[in-house]
Amino acid sequence: MRNKSGLSQGLSIAFRFGIEMAVAIGLGGLMGYSIDYFSGTRPWFFVAGVFLGGAAGVLNVYRAAQEITFEDDDGPNDQGDPTS
Amino acid sequence: MSMESPLHHFELHPIIPMSVMGLDISINKAVIAMWIGSAVIFGVFMLVVKGGVSLIPGKVQSLAEMILEFIGGMVEEFIGEADRAKFLPFIASLFLFILACNLIGLIPGSYTITSQLVVTGAFAVGIFIMTLVIGFGRHGMHFLSVLVPPGVPKVMIPLMIPIEIISMLARPISLAVRLFANMTAGHTVLAVLFGLAMSSPLWVGWLPFGFTVIINGLEIAIAIIQAYIFTTLTCVYIGDVIKLH
Repeated sequence: MRNKSGLSQGLSIAFRFGIEMAVAIGLGGLMGYSIDYFSGTRPWFFVAGVFLGGAAGVLNVYRAAQEITFEDDDGPNDQGDPTS
Repeated sequence: MSMESPLHHFELHPIIPMSVMGLDISINKAVIAMWIGSAVIFGVFMLVVKGGVSLIPGKVQSLAEMILEFIGGMVEEFIGEADRAKFLPFIASLFLFILACNLIGLIPGSYTITSQLVVTGAFAVGIFIMTLVIGFGRHGMHFLSVLVPPGVPKVMIPLMIPIEIISMLARPISLAVRLFANMTAGHTVLAVLFGLAMSSPLWVGWLPFGFTVIINGLEIAIAIIQAYIFTTLTCVYIGDVIKLH
Protein backbone atom coordinates (compact mmCIF):
# COMPACT_ATOMS: atom_id res chain seq x y z
CA MET A 1 0.00 0.00 0.00
CA ARG A 2 2.75 2.42 0.94
CA ASN A 3 4.62 4.09 -1.86
CA LYS A 4 8.29 3.44 -1.18
CA SER A 5 9.60 5.81 -3.82
CA GLY A 6 12.41 7.79 -2.19
CA LEU A 7 11.69 11.21 -3.64
CA SER A 8 7.97 11.39 -2.96
CA GLN A 9 8.41 9.94 0.53
CA GLY A 10 11.16 12.43 1.33
CA LEU A 11 9.04 15.28 -0.03
CA SER A 12 6.04 14.25 2.04
CA ILE A 13 8.21 14.08 5.17
CA ALA A 14 9.72 17.50 4.48
CA PHE A 15 6.31 18.97 3.78
CA ARG A 16 4.93 17.41 6.95
CA PHE A 17 7.62 18.98 9.15
CA GLY A 18 7.24 22.35 7.48
CA ILE A 19 3.51 22.41 8.16
CA GLU A 20 4.08 21.24 11.74
CA MET A 21 6.46 24.14 12.40
CA ALA A 22 4.39 26.81 10.62
CA VAL A 23 1.14 25.79 12.30
CA ALA A 24 2.69 25.87 15.79
CA ILE A 25 4.22 29.33 15.29
CA GLY A 26 0.99 30.64 13.79
CA LEU A 27 -1.09 29.23 16.60
CA GLY A 28 1.23 30.59 19.30
CA GLY A 29 1.21 34.00 17.68
CA LEU A 30 -2.57 33.96 17.31
CA MET A 31 -3.10 32.99 20.95
CA GLY A 32 -0.75 35.73 22.12
CA TYR A 33 -2.39 38.23 19.79
CA SER A 34 -5.86 37.43 21.09
CA ILE A 35 -4.71 37.80 24.70
CA ASP A 36 -3.28 41.20 23.74
CA TYR A 37 -6.47 42.12 21.90
CA PHE A 38 -8.66 41.55 24.93
CA SER A 39 -6.34 42.88 27.62
CA GLY A 40 -4.79 45.76 25.67
CA THR A 41 -1.19 44.82 26.41
CA ARG A 42 -0.05 44.93 22.80
CA PRO A 43 2.49 43.67 21.74
CA TRP A 44 3.93 41.73 24.64
CA PHE A 45 1.83 38.57 24.70
CA PHE A 46 2.07 38.38 20.91
CA VAL A 47 5.88 38.36 21.08
CA ALA A 48 5.87 35.78 23.86
CA GLY A 49 3.32 33.70 21.94
CA VAL A 50 5.44 33.60 18.79
CA PHE A 51 8.44 32.40 20.78
CA LEU A 52 6.40 29.80 22.68
CA GLY A 53 4.87 28.70 19.39
CA GLY A 54 8.34 28.31 17.91
CA ALA A 55 9.35 26.17 20.86
CA ALA A 56 6.20 24.07 20.46
CA GLY A 57 6.92 23.70 16.75
CA VAL A 58 10.46 22.48 17.42
CA LEU A 59 9.05 20.04 19.96
CA ASN A 60 6.48 18.72 17.48
CA VAL A 61 9.03 18.36 14.69
CA TYR A 62 11.43 16.63 17.09
CA ARG A 63 8.74 14.15 18.10
CA ALA A 64 7.67 13.51 14.50
CA ALA A 65 11.30 13.00 13.44
CA GLN A 66 11.80 10.57 16.30
CA GLU A 67 8.82 8.52 15.13
CA ILE A 68 10.24 8.31 11.62
CA THR A 69 13.68 7.14 12.73
CA PHE A 70 11.94 4.54 14.89
CA GLU A 71 10.02 3.28 11.88
CA ASP A 72 13.21 2.87 9.87
CA ASP A 73 15.29 1.29 12.62
CA ASP A 74 14.76 -2.04 14.27
CA GLY A 75 12.24 -1.24 16.95
CA PRO A 76 11.29 1.42 19.48
CA ASN A 77 14.23 0.54 21.75
CA ASP A 78 16.79 1.58 19.18
CA GLN A 79 17.85 5.05 20.23
CA GLY A 80 20.33 5.31 17.40
CA ASP A 81 23.29 4.80 19.73
CA PRO A 82 26.40 4.75 17.50
CA THR A 83 28.40 2.66 19.97
CA SER A 84 26.01 -0.29 19.94
CA MET B 1 -10.43 31.83 -25.52
CA SER B 2 -10.77 33.12 -21.98
CA MET B 3 -8.54 31.66 -19.29
CA GLU B 4 -10.23 30.31 -16.22
CA SER B 5 -8.71 30.74 -12.80
CA PRO B 6 -6.98 27.50 -11.77
CA LEU B 7 -8.80 27.72 -8.45
CA HIS B 8 -12.17 27.98 -10.18
CA HIS B 9 -12.96 24.28 -9.94
CA PHE B 10 -12.76 24.37 -6.12
CA GLU B 11 -15.77 26.69 -5.98
CA LEU B 12 -19.05 25.17 -4.92
CA HIS B 13 -22.44 26.13 -6.25
CA PRO B 14 -25.67 24.65 -4.92
CA ILE B 15 -27.31 22.19 -7.28
CA ILE B 16 -30.46 21.75 -5.20
CA PRO B 17 -30.80 24.83 -2.95
CA MET B 18 -32.20 23.97 0.46
CA SER B 19 -32.25 25.72 3.78
CA VAL B 20 -33.62 24.78 7.16
CA MET B 21 -34.23 27.64 9.60
CA GLY B 22 -31.71 29.87 7.88
CA LEU B 23 -29.12 27.09 7.78
CA ASP B 24 -27.84 26.46 4.27
CA ILE B 25 -27.94 22.71 3.59
CA SER B 26 -27.99 22.89 -0.20
CA ILE B 27 -26.90 19.82 -2.11
CA ASN B 28 -23.78 20.64 -4.10
CA LYS B 29 -21.03 18.74 -5.89
CA ALA B 30 -19.09 18.09 -2.69
CA VAL B 31 -22.06 16.50 -0.96
CA ILE B 32 -22.68 14.25 -3.94
CA ALA B 33 -18.98 13.28 -4.10
CA MET B 34 -19.16 12.41 -0.41
CA TRP B 35 -22.23 10.22 -0.99
CA ILE B 36 -20.51 8.46 -3.86
CA GLY B 37 -17.41 7.93 -1.70
CA SER B 38 -19.32 6.22 1.07
CA ALA B 39 -21.45 4.33 -1.45
CA VAL B 40 -18.33 2.94 -3.17
CA ILE B 41 -16.82 1.73 0.11
CA PHE B 42 -20.15 0.31 1.27
CA GLY B 43 -20.70 -1.36 -2.09
CA VAL B 44 -17.25 -2.98 -2.22
CA PHE B 45 -17.55 -4.41 1.26
CA MET B 46 -21.18 -5.50 0.71
CA LEU B 47 -19.95 -7.36 -2.36
CA VAL B 48 -17.55 -9.22 -0.06
CA VAL B 49 -20.13 -10.06 2.58
CA LYS B 50 -23.04 -10.78 0.21
CA GLY B 51 -21.61 -13.95 -1.29
CA GLY B 52 -20.94 -15.26 2.20
CA VAL B 53 -17.51 -15.06 3.82
CA SER B 54 -15.67 -18.26 3.06
CA LEU B 55 -12.69 -19.78 4.80
CA ILE B 56 -10.78 -19.90 1.54
CA PRO B 57 -11.10 -16.30 0.31
CA GLY B 58 -11.84 -15.44 -3.28
CA LYS B 59 -10.30 -12.50 -5.11
CA VAL B 60 -12.48 -9.72 -3.69
CA GLN B 61 -12.50 -11.20 -0.22
CA SER B 62 -8.73 -11.52 -0.02
CA LEU B 63 -8.37 -7.92 -1.18
CA ALA B 64 -10.74 -6.74 1.56
CA GLU B 65 -8.97 -8.92 4.13
CA MET B 66 -5.60 -7.55 3.03
CA ILE B 67 -6.77 -3.94 3.47
CA LEU B 68 -8.27 -4.64 6.89
CA GLU B 69 -5.15 -6.55 8.00
CA PHE B 70 -3.01 -3.62 6.88
CA ILE B 71 -5.10 -1.14 8.89
CA GLY B 72 -5.24 -3.59 11.80
CA GLY B 73 -1.44 -3.74 11.84
CA MET B 74 -1.33 0.04 11.96
CA VAL B 75 -3.75 0.12 14.91
CA GLU B 76 -1.73 -2.55 16.75
CA GLU B 77 1.54 -0.74 16.17
CA PHE B 78 0.47 2.71 17.33
CA ILE B 79 -2.44 2.13 19.73
CA GLY B 80 -1.76 -1.30 21.15
CA GLU B 81 -2.93 -4.85 20.58
CA ALA B 82 -5.40 -4.76 23.47
CA ASP B 83 -7.41 -1.97 21.83
CA ARG B 84 -7.36 -3.32 18.30
CA ALA B 85 -10.97 -4.50 18.27
CA LYS B 86 -12.17 -1.24 19.79
CA PHE B 87 -10.51 1.16 17.34
CA LEU B 88 -10.25 -0.86 14.12
CA PRO B 89 -13.79 0.00 12.90
CA PHE B 90 -13.25 3.74 13.35
CA ILE B 91 -9.74 3.81 11.88
CA ALA B 92 -10.71 1.56 8.97
CA SER B 93 -13.76 3.68 8.07
CA LEU B 94 -11.67 6.85 8.31
CA PHE B 95 -8.92 5.47 6.07
CA LEU B 96 -11.25 3.99 3.48
CA PHE B 97 -13.49 7.06 3.31
CA ILE B 98 -10.59 9.49 2.88
CA LEU B 99 -8.94 7.17 0.36
CA ALA B 100 -12.16 6.81 -1.63
CA CYS B 101 -12.78 10.57 -1.63
CA ASN B 102 -9.18 11.33 -2.66
CA LEU B 103 -9.34 8.84 -5.52
CA ILE B 104 -12.80 9.93 -6.69
CA GLY B 105 -11.47 13.48 -6.92
CA LEU B 106 -8.94 12.33 -9.52
CA ILE B 107 -11.66 11.44 -12.01
CA PRO B 108 -11.91 14.47 -14.30
CA GLY B 109 -15.06 16.46 -13.68
CA SER B 110 -15.68 15.11 -10.20
CA TYR B 111 -14.97 16.88 -6.93
CA THR B 112 -12.33 16.31 -4.22
CA ILE B 113 -14.02 16.93 -0.89
CA THR B 114 -10.69 16.66 0.94
CA SER B 115 -9.60 19.84 -0.86
CA GLN B 116 -12.02 21.74 1.38
CA LEU B 117 -10.54 22.84 4.70
CA VAL B 118 -13.98 22.55 6.33
CA VAL B 119 -14.11 18.82 5.64
CA THR B 120 -10.59 17.97 6.83
CA GLY B 121 -10.99 20.43 9.71
CA ALA B 122 -14.19 18.71 10.81
CA PHE B 123 -12.39 15.35 10.77
CA ALA B 124 -9.43 16.74 12.72
CA VAL B 125 -11.54 18.54 15.33
CA GLY B 126 -13.64 15.40 15.80
CA ILE B 127 -10.50 13.33 16.29
CA PHE B 128 -9.05 15.90 18.71
CA ILE B 129 -12.21 15.89 20.85
CA MET B 130 -12.19 12.09 20.71
CA THR B 131 -8.61 11.92 22.02
CA LEU B 132 -9.54 14.28 24.87
CA VAL B 133 -12.58 12.14 25.78
CA ILE B 134 -10.51 8.93 25.63
CA GLY B 135 -7.72 10.52 27.70
CA PHE B 136 -10.00 11.80 30.46
CA GLY B 137 -12.02 8.56 30.38
CA ARG B 138 -8.96 6.35 30.82
CA HIS B 139 -6.89 8.41 33.21
CA GLY B 140 -9.30 10.86 34.87
CA MET B 141 -7.65 14.02 36.13
CA HIS B 142 -4.29 12.29 35.90
CA PHE B 143 -4.57 12.92 32.14
CA LEU B 144 -3.47 16.52 32.73
CA SER B 145 0.04 15.18 33.33
CA VAL B 146 0.25 14.97 29.51
CA LEU B 147 1.04 18.68 29.72
CA VAL B 148 4.26 18.02 31.66
CA PRO B 149 6.75 15.81 29.82
CA PRO B 150 8.63 13.37 32.06
CA GLY B 151 12.03 14.43 33.37
CA VAL B 152 11.38 18.18 33.23
CA PRO B 153 12.99 20.19 36.06
CA LYS B 154 10.49 21.96 38.37
CA VAL B 155 11.74 25.41 37.30
CA MET B 156 10.83 24.72 33.70
CA ILE B 157 7.25 23.58 34.36
CA PRO B 158 5.58 27.03 34.04
CA LEU B 159 7.31 27.41 30.67
CA MET B 160 6.58 23.88 29.49
CA ILE B 161 2.81 24.00 30.11
CA PRO B 162 2.03 26.74 27.55
CA ILE B 163 4.43 25.13 25.07
CA GLU B 164 2.73 21.76 25.49
CA ILE B 165 -0.72 23.34 25.17
CA ILE B 166 0.28 25.03 21.91
CA SER B 167 1.91 21.86 20.61
CA MET B 168 -1.20 19.87 21.46
CA LEU B 169 -3.59 22.35 19.82
CA ALA B 170 -1.33 22.53 16.76
CA ARG B 171 -1.80 18.81 16.10
CA PRO B 172 -5.37 18.85 14.77
CA ILE B 173 -4.65 22.00 12.76
CA SER B 174 -1.58 20.51 11.10
CA LEU B 175 -3.51 17.27 10.53
CA ALA B 176 -6.27 19.15 8.72
CA VAL B 177 -4.01 21.55 6.83
CA ARG B 178 -1.70 18.78 5.59
CA LEU B 179 -4.43 16.79 3.84
CA PHE B 180 -6.17 19.91 2.55
CA ALA B 181 -2.96 21.53 1.26
CA ASN B 182 -1.73 18.39 -0.48
CA MET B 183 -4.99 17.80 -2.29
CA THR B 184 -5.52 21.46 -3.21
CA ALA B 185 -1.93 21.88 -4.43
CA GLY B 186 -2.09 18.77 -6.60
CA HIS B 187 -5.37 19.73 -8.21
CA THR B 188 -4.24 23.31 -8.78
CA VAL B 189 -1.14 22.05 -10.60
CA LEU B 190 -3.34 19.80 -12.71
CA ALA B 191 -5.69 22.69 -13.50
CA VAL B 192 -2.82 25.01 -14.49
CA LEU B 193 -1.24 22.41 -16.76
CA PHE B 194 -4.55 21.55 -18.33
CA GLY B 195 -5.28 25.23 -18.84
CA LEU B 196 -1.94 25.56 -20.66
CA ALA B 197 -2.71 22.53 -22.79
CA MET B 198 -6.12 23.88 -23.77
CA SER B 199 -5.04 27.44 -24.51
CA SER B 200 -2.02 26.67 -26.65
CA PRO B 201 -1.94 25.39 -30.24
CA LEU B 202 -1.67 21.67 -30.75
CA TRP B 203 2.03 21.65 -31.68
CA VAL B 204 3.04 22.78 -28.13
CA GLY B 205 -0.17 21.79 -26.37
CA TRP B 206 0.74 18.10 -26.27
CA LEU B 207 3.60 18.85 -23.87
CA PRO B 208 1.57 20.20 -20.91
CA PHE B 209 -1.10 17.63 -21.67
CA GLY B 210 1.48 14.85 -21.30
CA PHE B 211 2.54 16.35 -17.99
CA THR B 212 -1.11 16.36 -16.88
CA VAL B 213 -1.22 12.62 -17.46
CA ILE B 214 2.06 12.03 -15.59
CA ILE B 215 1.05 14.22 -12.66
CA ASN B 216 -2.31 12.50 -12.49
CA GLY B 217 -0.36 9.29 -11.89
CA LEU B 218 1.66 11.01 -9.18
CA GLU B 219 -1.58 12.29 -7.66
CA ILE B 220 -2.84 8.71 -7.26
CA ALA B 221 0.25 7.97 -5.16
CA ILE B 222 -0.28 11.18 -3.16
CA ALA B 223 -3.95 10.31 -2.59
CA ILE B 224 -2.95 6.97 -1.07
CA ILE B 225 0.00 8.39 0.93
CA GLN B 226 -2.08 11.25 2.36
CA ALA B 227 -4.91 8.92 3.41
CA TYR B 228 -2.27 6.70 5.02
CA ILE B 229 -0.54 9.61 6.82
CA PHE B 230 -3.86 11.00 8.06
CA THR B 231 -4.88 7.69 9.62
CA THR B 232 -1.38 6.91 10.95
CA LEU B 233 -1.28 10.24 12.75
CA THR B 234 -4.79 9.65 14.09
CA CYS B 235 -3.53 6.34 15.50
CA VAL B 236 -0.43 8.04 16.94
CA TYR B 237 -2.53 10.71 18.66
CA ILE B 238 -4.97 8.16 20.11
CA GLY B 239 -2.03 5.98 21.18
CA ASP B 240 -0.38 8.95 22.89
CA VAL B 241 -3.35 9.64 25.14
CA ILE B 242 -3.82 5.96 25.95
CA LYS B 243 -0.20 5.26 26.83
CA LEU B 244 0.40 8.69 28.43
CA HIS B 245 4.20 8.82 28.05
